[in-house]
Parts: sequence; structure tokens; C-alpha cells
Amino acid sequence: MENNKVYEDLILVLRRSKKIFIFIQVLTVFLLLNFWKIQVLDHKKYWEKSEANRMREIVLPSQRGLIKDRGETILADNKASFKVSIIRENCEDYDKSCRKISRLLKIEEDVLKERIKRYESFPVFKPIVIKENLSFEEVAVIEARKLEFPELFLQAEPKRFYPFGSLAAHALGYIQELSGEEIKNGLYQQRRLGDLIGKTGVEKVYEATLGGTDGEALEIVDSMGRSKGKIAKREPEKGQNIILTLDYTLQEKAEELLEGREGAVVMMDPQTGEILALASYPTFDHNKFIDRFTPEEWLDLVNSPEFPLENRVIRGQYAPGSIFKLVIDLGALELGLVDEETTFTCKGEIEIYNEPFTCWVEKGHGEMNLIQAIRNSCNIYHYQVGKKMGIDEISRYAKMLGFGAKTGIDLPGEKTGLVPDPQWGREVRKERWQPGETISVSIGQGPLMVTPLQVALYTSIIANRGRKVTPHLLNSQSLAGKRVFSERDAVDIELSTFETVIQGMWEVVNKGGTGWAANVKGFDICGKTGSTQLVSTEKDKEKKVEEEEEEEETKTHSWFTGFAPRDNPKIVVTVIIEYGGMGGATAAPLARKLFNSYRRKYD
Amino acid sequence: MIDRNLLRNTDWILIGILLLNSILGVAFIYSSSHYLPGNYYVKQILWMVFSSIAIFLFLCVDYSTLVTYSLYLYLVLIGVLGGILIFGMPIAGAKSWFKFPFFNVQPSEVAKIMIILLLANVFAKFRRNYLSMGKGFLGVSIIAVPAFLVALQPDLGTALSYIPILLAAFFLAGLNKKTIIGILICGLLLGIFGWNFGLKDYQKKRLTALISPSQDPLGSGYHILQSKIAIGSGGFLGKGFRKGTQSQLRFLPARHTDFVFSVVGEEFGFIGVVLILLSYSFLLWRLFQSIGHSRDRTGVYIIFMVAIMIAFQFLINLMMIIGLFPIAGIPLPLFSYGGSSLLTTYIGIALVLNVKMRRFANI
Repeated sequence: MENNKVYEDLILVLRRSKKIFIFIQVLTVFLLLNFWKIQVLDHKKYWEKSEANRMREIVLPSQRGLIKDRGETILADNKASFKVSIIRENCEDYDKSCRKISRLLKIEEDVLKERIKRYESFPVFKPIVIKENLSFEEVAVIEARKLEFPELFLQAEPKRFYPFGSLAAHALGYIQELSGEEIKNGLYQQRRLGDLIGKTGVEKVYEATLGGTDGEALEIVDSMGRSKGKIAKREPEKGQNIILTLDYTLQEKAEELLEGREGAVVMMDPQTGEILALASYPTFDHNKFIDRFTPEEWLDLVNSPEFPLENRVIRGQYAPGSIFKLVIDLGALELGLVDEETTFTCKGEIEIYNEPFTCWVEKGHGEMNLIQAIRNSCNIYHYQVGKKMGIDEISRYAKMLGFGAKTGIDLPGEKTGLVPDPQWGREVRKERWQPGETISVSIGQGPLMVTPLQVALYTSIIANRGRKVTPHLLNSQSLAGKRVFSERDAVDIELSTFETVIQGMWEVVNKGGTGWAANVKGFDICGKTGSTQLVSTEKDKEKKVEEEEEEEETKTHSWFTGFAPRDNPKIVVTVIIEYGGMGGATAAPLARKLFNSYRRKYD
Repeated sequence: MIDRNLLRNTDWILIGILLLNSILGVAFIYSSSHYLPGNYYVKQILWMVFSSIAIFLFLCVDYSTLVTYSLYLYLVLIGVLGGILIFGMPIAGAKSWFKFPFFNVQPSEVAKIMIILLLANVFAKFRRNYLSMGKGFLGVSIIAVPAFLVALQPDLGTALSYIPILLAAFFLAGLNKKTIIGILICGLLLGIFGWNFGLKDYQKKRLTALISPSQDPLGSGYHILQSKIAIGSGGFLGKGFRKGTQSQLRFLPARHTDFVFSVVGEEFGFIGVVLILLSYSFLLWRLFQSIGHSRDRTGVYIIFMVAIMIAFQFLINLMMIIGLFPIAGIPLPLFSYGGSSLLTTYIGIALVLNVKMRRFANI
């Protein structure tokens, strides 16, 4: 062979490698003999051992972090709860087992099987939860018949519990079983099917902090389900506690005042953006959502954007009405279109662009300057100022003051509201902007939409004389370095402009203006009322039709927003009551009670 | 590049057995891990594709070029091994991995290739009939540096798996009685020294567990016992694909990696074991049979060391799962899940193919 020539001692090498190959062959045969012994000669022994080998994988549930208010009152707690699971591997006959269990635990057999089917992908030795929140009687029954039901596995777990029921339900959110879909989306890589996770509110936003890491234990059990020892164990890790900026007392007061109505309240520290109260009504008891077995219809209700679950503070979009007039005043003053002394005469009605526009006082307010126009919330005055400004400037100032954009609060699902301009008209609405619409926008009507939180932010910008904070619920000190709520760029409006408008707001409450009902002696509240017709959603339309026959007042939403004290402001209160009538009549007195509560506690 | 002649001289049979064994491997990885998150079998298939590309790349370059640069490759390797000790993030307690966005690579596995190339370079020039003292020490130091770095990760099993490659080179160079005795004494001393100073408690326990696994069934003897239960309960005919009750084997933490052959034993019984061993032996036979087909000594050394590298891991892994050898974390090449091991085996075989296809080339 040609190839042999290159390697003079090839024969030697081949001999050496052959020895090794033979050695390997011998070892392989030796291994085969060993396999023969284990698999054929000792088969019976190992077969029996394999039959006795049963295993159980237990999840040791971690405890969710607590949520506390600023005074460290616990708003979301954990309590012990019992759940029972099935281990399919230990069933002698699956169908028979299901029948027996269905009788023992009083669950419909179909429901039970359906439930187990959802977790088919689990290995057979892994427990599947089939009933939870067991009563002591149920626990006792299962415990007593343990030997009869080796497939059942009883376990205690710490469970979310909201000690004050529905209190701050919208802010805190609720937790629910993780769905298969969410796992597919890969959002929760550390979590498994069947885990409970935050679905809305703070529970969702701070899921990574609150949710602990479940532990795990592997046990060998005999055919009766008795543990023969643990193979491996990983202790669960507790979730971290968080402290919110909410104030229990104020939150409770806000909800108490809203009871029986539809509406929302925000109380916020204008200097830091800390939210002290965030209430939306009607509300719900979030304790009810924690169950893994909520019937489908109930789940549908939960998932639908229907109203009790909707957080109106960040998701309710309303016309701002007269509270928007301050945007016009700030903008026009800043642009030099008007000054403090500019006067207009209100005769109760005015014709602009060949259309009649009315004031809310039929006989008119007479001649007045800017501050008086704020105090009386005069429409005629603002129609004319708004006309001078034009829609582009109005929209620019509205956006500068926080409208039309998310406030950045640490809650999921915040809406942006809408600040219209001609471009929006062309591109989104596909309808030309009418000059008359500018006039409507001047008093906060027209296509304009804002959320109560945006109104609170806007009020705080005025209170701060231009500083713009980010509203937030997490006490930034409680999770050092984890989340900083940065301050945004200051609003580019002169201090003197703010002072003029604030003078007007002060007179609204303290000098017989529309918001007189919010007056708290010695607290120097500055505010603005608003009353708006809102026809934005189908639901509202229906409601409006129903109530066509009723009084004019019930069709309007009632707004009040304000801050106090005038110098060095400490608190912003924003209130909206749907179908509440005039702002001064409904929202303002409610705001007064909230200012009062704040003052009692902090002043 | 590859011309017609080279293509004609390619050992397609070897490639065929390689792929056959890898595909069988994927099937068992699937059986032992399909219910686990992680899609291991899909990843293994991707690694197969990736490793096949690596084979192609390694065939493009004449092996003598690789050997010429072997010292530089080796130095880069030492740098990498040193680097991950300092900068590496530990995975499962050991700093063995290089993290990439979608996969991790274990340089300590790929190291075997650099070691083989450098040893081939050194020993091909050795022309005496028996190994000399000087060459012996040079060989030892070549593997000692990476082995030491890998042992620090800590990954003793992989570090020890460099030794057979060196012994293969020694053996081919020729061993007289004096040298054999010398090596045995060195081995013994290393063993005693290691037992007293080097081994961690768990490693010692694994050794004692070898002698009586049932003494502490939930401790370190656990793996051996469970593996034997799985294999033994499979019997002569096995329980059928995906039907192994033990090796749907949550009893073994490494069921799709080091203990994948236990799954073969349980699901396909003794018959399956025999067939897989035959198929594997065929691969080894083909490798050993290739030894003559080289144009120079370098090629002979490369083929022999690759063959020993694979054969050694194969034997140790099988002994490990039936309790004849301590659990050392040695995977079964082509069968155990693990990209780095697969890649190394493929590159090793690429080297063999490379030598064979260029056996008629003019130098």
C-alpha cells in the first residue's frame, strides 16, 4: 500500500493500538456481562424496588411581601390556608379515584376532571391543586381518611388577604392564578402554571418584589403515600414588603364619601407626587379574586372592562369642563393676550362664528376682569380668551400642563386622555376642525378628555408654580435604589402668571366663588370647580337616554380640584362625581371634608 | 479547500455511524426530558447542526496546519480557562461556562481538541522506540496546566478526563516496563495525595458509595442505586420508548445528561443495551481501524488520541451508571445532552476524517 511508506514504524504503531482496542473490547464485554446480571439475573429484585419507588414533588409556597400604607398599617397581608391536591401517580384507577374524591370533597366530577386536565402537562407525580380554602372540617375529613386516599395531598400555604376588604382595591389590585397564556408569553419565567400573581394595581407593578421564590422538596413515598425521606429541599424565599404612600385614614375617608356614587378621588402631595388617597367607586372586594377556582362567568366579569373593576382615577376619561379654564388663563396671560385687568362683559349669551354660546348663569355675570372670571367660572369670558389664543396654543399649554399624556404613575393601564387640535381632527377623527370647537374647548368641552389623575397632576403643577412631579404610590424610601420617581422638566410659565391664576383659585373658594362649599377656615384652599356633560361611552349614552326625563343636573359630572395651603402647598384634592350635578354643589363639599381630614391628621 | 480527490477519500461510513449514534442520542434525550421545561432535545438537534458545520470547517484546513499552530491554540485555551476562573459566572456552582446570548459553551470540553493537537505536534517528532523521561515530563506538563485550571472550576471529572489522552500518546510512543512502573507509582502517589488534600467530602462519599450504595440510599449512593433500579427493572426487553417509570426518571437529577444510558437500559432492556453497545463499538472500531490511514506520524497520533478520548468517556460513563466507577460527571459522548461535549466529539471525528482524506496528499 502506498500509504504505508510514509511511516516507517507503522507496523509497530498498529500493534500497539491493536492492544488497546482489544483491551477496550474486553472491557465492553465485561460491561455487557454486568448489564446481563443487573437486567436479567437480578431483574426481579430491581423490578420490585422500582415498584416501591414513588416520588412526590412538593412546592413549598413562598409568602408574598406585605403591602403597607405610609403609617405601616398592613393593607395586604397573608393568612394560612389549606389546599388539597391530587397526585395522579398514586391513583390506582384514575376514574374511580375521581369519583371517590368528587364525593369526599363535594366537587362535581366534571369540574374536577376539567381542572386536572388543565395541568396535564405536569409530570404525574406532581400534585395538582383541586380544592383550596378548606374548612377545618374538610381538613379533618381528609386527614382521617388519608390511608384510603394516597393520591390526595394536603398542604398549608400562606395566602393573600386584604384585612380591610375593598379598601384601596383599585390601587392595590388583586392576584389571580397565572394563566397558560401568560406563561407562553414568557412574562413570568420564574413562575409556573397554577401560581398566583398580581394581575392589576400595585400587586402587578411590583410583582417581582412582592412575589417570593417558591421552595421545593422531593420526597420518596411508599405506596401508601407515606414519606420515606426527603431527597432534596430548597427553602422558599419570602417576598419583600413594600410601603406605599397611601394614607389609611384618608383612603378610608375618601371611599366613605364616595359610597353609593360613581366617581373618583385623588389626594396627592404636590411637592413629591406621593399619592395619599386613590379611590374609585364603585369598588370590589379583592379578597374574592384570590381563589384558584373562580367560576368562568365570574372570571369573565373580572376580565371585562366593566365598571366596578375599572380604576376611574387612571382609566376614567372625562371632559374636564370648567377646571380646564385655568389652562386658557395661564396660556393667555403668558402669551400676553390678556392681563389681570382685561375685562369682558357677560350677558349670559354670545354669538361667535354665527353660533350661539351661553354662560351657565342665564342673566349673565356682567363686566369682569380675569380673576373675577375665574371666581365665577364665566364661560363668556373664557370663550373670548380662548378664541384669541386659538386651538394650537390651547393644545400646547394643555399638554405642557400634563394633559394628553400618561402621568407615569406606578399603576398598569393608565389612559392618556385626549388633547385635540386640528391635526388630530384631520388624522384621527378624519373630520375638519371647526372654529366653534375651539370655543367649546375653551371651557373644557368638545373632544377634550382627561383622567382624574391628570387633573390632580395639573393642579399640583399650578400649586408648585411650575414644578412637575411624577405621581406615585410606592414610598421611594422603602425600596432603596429600586425605583426613583424623577421630576420632569419644569413648566415654562412665569411665576407671576401662576400667582394671578392662583389668586383667582383662592377667590373661587374663599371669596364667594363657585367653590365656596370647599372652604375650610384658615386652610387657604385654592380650587376650581367644573360641571361637564359627558357623552363618551356607550354606557353613558344609555344612561343619558334613560335619564332624559330627569332634571338637568343629573346629567352633568361634578368636578372639584384644588390645593392647600396657598403658600407652601401640601395637599392636592381632586374629586369627580359622575352625574353629580354642578361641581360646586356636589364635588366641592366632598373636597372640603377631605381637606378637613387631611388637616386634622397632618396640620 | 476541499477538492474532488479529498471528497472521494472522505470516510462516509464514519460520518454515517456518527450521525446514527447522535440521532439515537437525541431520541433518548427526548424520552428522558420531554416533560421538563427547556426543550433539551430541540437544543441537542441544534447543536448537532452547529457541530456538523464545525466538522465541515475543520475539514477545509489541512490538519498539519492546525498542528503547526497548535501551540498558539493551546495558549489561547489557557488564557480562556484562566479568564473564566476570574470573570466567569458560576452555573450550578461551577465556573465552567462561557455565556453566549443563546447558549453556553464549556471551554474545558473543547480543550481536549487543543490538547490532542499539541500532543500530536510534540510526539510526532519523537523518534525513539520508548518514551523518554524528558518527553514524558513535557507531556505531563501540557495537560497539567489546563487540568489544574479546570479542577479549580471545580470540575474534577473533566480535568481527569485529560489523563487518558496523555496516556494514549505515551502508549503510542512506546512504554517499557520501567516507565509503566513509574507511571503507576506516580498515579498511586497522586491518588493518596488527592484523597488527603484534593478531594472534597462529597467526592470521597461518592467513592465510598461505590462500595456499598445501599448503605445510605438517599445520600450519595442514591444516584447509583436509582440508576441500577432503572436499568434492572427494564429487564430483558425493556418497558418501551417513553414508558420507563423510573427514568421518566425524576429519581435522577442528571437523567438526560450523565445518566441518559440508564434510560436506554430501562426502556429498551438488555436487547437495547446490546444494540447500542454494538453501534457504539462499531464507531470505535472504525476509529481504531483508521489509524493506519495516515500520511505521517502526526496523523496517527491524532486518530489514536481521538479514539481513546471517546472510548474512555464511553467506558467510564457506562461503568458509572452501573456503579463500577464513582460518579465523576463524565458524559456519554453523542448520547448525553450537552452541546460542548457533542461539539468536541464532532471536532475530534472531524480531525480523524481530515487525516484520512488527506492520506495521499503530497507534502
